[in-house]
Amino acid sequence: MAKTVYMPMNRVEGDLEVMVAIEDNVVSDAWMIGTMFRGIETMLVGRNSLDGLVITPRICGICSTSHLLAAAMALEDITGTEVSPNGRLVRHIALAAEQMQSDLRHIFLMFAADFTGKRHADHTLYPDMVRRYQPFQGSAVVSTIVATKILPELIAILGGQWPHSSFIVPGGITSQPSRADLRQCRLLLGEFRRWYEQAVLGCTLERILSVQTAKDLEQWLDERSEHWHGELGFFLRCAQAAGLDRIGQGHGSYLSGPGFVMDDDDQALDDGGGFLHGDVFEPFDQQRIVEHVRHARYQDHNSSGHPGEAETHPLHAIDPEKYSLCKAPRYNGVPAETGALAEALVRQDPLFTDLVANQGGSVLVRALARLLRPARIILLMDKWLGAIDADAPYYTPAAAPTGGSGVGLIQAPRGLLGHWVQLSGGTIDHYQVITPTTWNGSPRDDRDVRGPIEQALVGTPIRDPEDPVEVAHVVRSFDLCMVCSVHTVNKDQGTLGRLRIGM
Amino acid sequence: MPTALWMQCGACGGDTMSFLGMGAPHLPDFLKELNLTLWHPSLNRWEHGAYAQLLADLRYRSRSLDILLVEGFILDQSGESGGFDTLQGEPKAAILRQLASWAGAVIAVGTCACFGGIGKLGAVQATGLQYHHRRPGGLLGEQFRSQRGWPVINLPGCPVHPTVLQDTLCAVCENRLPALNNHQAPEDWFGILVHQGCTRNEYHEYRVEDSDFGGPGCMFFHMGCRGPLTYAPCNKVLWNGRNSKTNAGVPCFGCTHPDFPQEHPFFHTPNIVDVPLELPDGVDRAHYLAYKGMAAAAAPDRLVKRKSRV
Repeated sequence: MAKTVYMPMNRVEGDLEVMVAIEDNVVSDAWMIGTMFRGIETMLVGRNSLDGLVITPRICGICSTSHLLAAAMALEDITGTEVSPNGRLVRHIALAAEQMQSDLRHIFLMFAADFTGKRHADHTLYPDMVRRYQPFQGSAVVSTIVATKILPELIAILGGQWPHSSFIVPGGITSQPSRADLRQCRLLLGEFRRWYEQAVLGCTLERILSVQTAKDLEQWLDERSEHWHGELGFFLRCAQAAGLDRIGQGHGSYLSGPGFVMDDDDQALDDGGGFLHGDVFEPFDQQRIVEHVRHARYQDHNSSGHPGEAETHPLHAIDPEKYSLCKAPRYNGVPAETGALAEALVRQDPLFTDLVANQGGSVLVRALARLLRPARIILLMDKWLGAIDADAPYYTPAAAPTGGSGVGLIQAPRGLLGHWVQLSGGTIDHYQVITPTTWNGSPRDDRDVRGPIEQALVGTPIRDPEDPVEVAHVVRSFDLCMVCSVHTVNKDQGTLGRLRIGM
Repeated sequence: MPTALWMQCGACGGDTMSFLGMGAPHLPDFLKELNLTLWHPSLNRWEHGAYAQLLADLRYRSRSLDILLVEGFILDQSGESGGFDTLQGEPKAAILRQLASWAGAVIAVGTCACFGGIGKLGAVQATGLQYHHRRPGGLLGEQFRSQRGWPVINLPGCPVHPTVLQDTLCAVCENRLPALNNHQAPEDWFGILVHQGCTRNEYHEYRVEDSDFGGPGCMFFHMGCRGPLTYAPCNKVLWNGRNSKTNAGVPCFGCTHPDFPQEHPFFHTPNIVDVPLELPDGVDRAHYLAYKGMAAAAAPDRLVKRKSRV
């Protein structure tokens, strides 16, 4: 019998529902309920070893390049293939571009839309919130839609199309961008940078990167009218006004995967990832990952364990004990949050280290990490584009992998992404994927410890249990790749109603 | 003001991302141009309870629905896998049936919604709206017609090309059914092969073949490219306004086919003595062999030596 394995919940639509219990206007408990199973990994078993390069990007239309890269790296891990230096640079550039479109669309199209709800109507900033964040119409929304189209264009020049290309292959990439192509990419990056500096920051990249503490950030905000009225400044003011700096702290454990690793002497580029729990830092080691299924809708037998070994047998019947179609991945046995904030903290970024020391890993800090990430990335991309030698190959001929086990781990837009593959006779025996959303949106584990979002929800004050928009803010701050439904349960009154959070 | 509801089923969101990236006019202006009210689960925001109310109004026909757009495959086989895609406990397939019967027009956005797409692999046994892979049927059945008397309009592609979706919405908002081909996809967009307009065309013409990645040659003979067999406008209207997979050295995987994804390996062309088992659509084997033999002999040096970069 073919082995079957589990499939993650990482998508853009309503495949996850949240249930919260509210007592005395405070969230007393929370459950994240994955409601969809596509079985992508089971689709791969028995197929040719290279077929993951075509199937796995289809896991997610927002980060298909990330899946493609992880799939190629898992195969390279088996054969020990060296990637051509140009190939590495192009992969980094494409991944960075994908990350930035995701970050900015998330903030201005998905996250900020919640500010337009009637719950915020009594705030003095409300008319401006609506003017900027109204879906399809708000000034920030329209400007983000226009500006973020530039990034897929850049990826298309290098890789053919976005989303769902398969241009990353073991050994490098399939295309041979010319100098003219690279110049086009630089023009596009420049255009995007101008928008980010002028519309989002109201200052230069260099200026914002000099902000190193919470106090610096306050000073920056007051420094000039462009800062105050720019999208970043306005977002900060909204988030503070809505109290987002005081809600959403989770377990305080942060996980980040290998980031943009380059073979040069720039330490900033050499980010191997890590796990931060309180003050304790450990370098990232994928052997420490285990998945639990006690509360996930999978057969208990053989479904737990390291992703390189665990199988997946979904259960049809809905079972209150097994409330989610998400498994519960754990690192060192504990839940961990992943994403832009975890990445910044693991990298020991001074601003975010200071902010978390002051206000914890709040909703505001988590969103801010995403909003500021492009500042660093744009500069790196520019450097990488300049480092490509258009006369050198982009692809190193690589033997097709036939047998063995491999792992591909990267820092995708939403956090740690891992692909685990086992091959024999040139075909896939076993494939397992753990996406960032599986980490953040996981249910309770075998020891009944809540997943990161479940934990972050507990203790959240809810002004109006009939309209618990605070729940939406907390859940959304993790940049889940989906639309959620929130079922609110009042312990005394039973089910009150359900809130759909339009993503 | 016409109304459109976008439903996501077994989807990756790629069609939504494609739609969001449409060329001029950009999405917000496009909606204004058509005077179209779009309800999209990823892009709209609803007040508490309002989305559930909207769905109920549409399902029970107290509000009109001009266009239903569906993204993603449908989990409905034998009623069992329906539990793998639910909305507040109810299988989405059941909700879709009600909405489709009320909608003026139904558009399947992307290969999954058209034919089942990648959902045909693996454990879930998915189907499309009016096709189950090649076979008419699917969720709604061969005889299904929307309120305007139209079959489901299929817009295949993984993802759908944004221009194709944009144009189809224009036609539907003018109350016109585009001319459809034998898989119910618009002829104007799916009457052209991926091969047409490919920058590797001349390499194909003279049979200058690649057998590994990273070259400029034709990928049809060895590397699994299905461009000469696949009807889609990828090399007519470029992706993201810039490029296409085949131009970038990625074989066409035939993602608009009803039987996508194929059973055999993606990066390999099944062939006999170096000639593919499946020839370009409609081509006679004997003539093709003779023509390709002569063409290879006539190949100019600049191609044989691969002097140009695609």
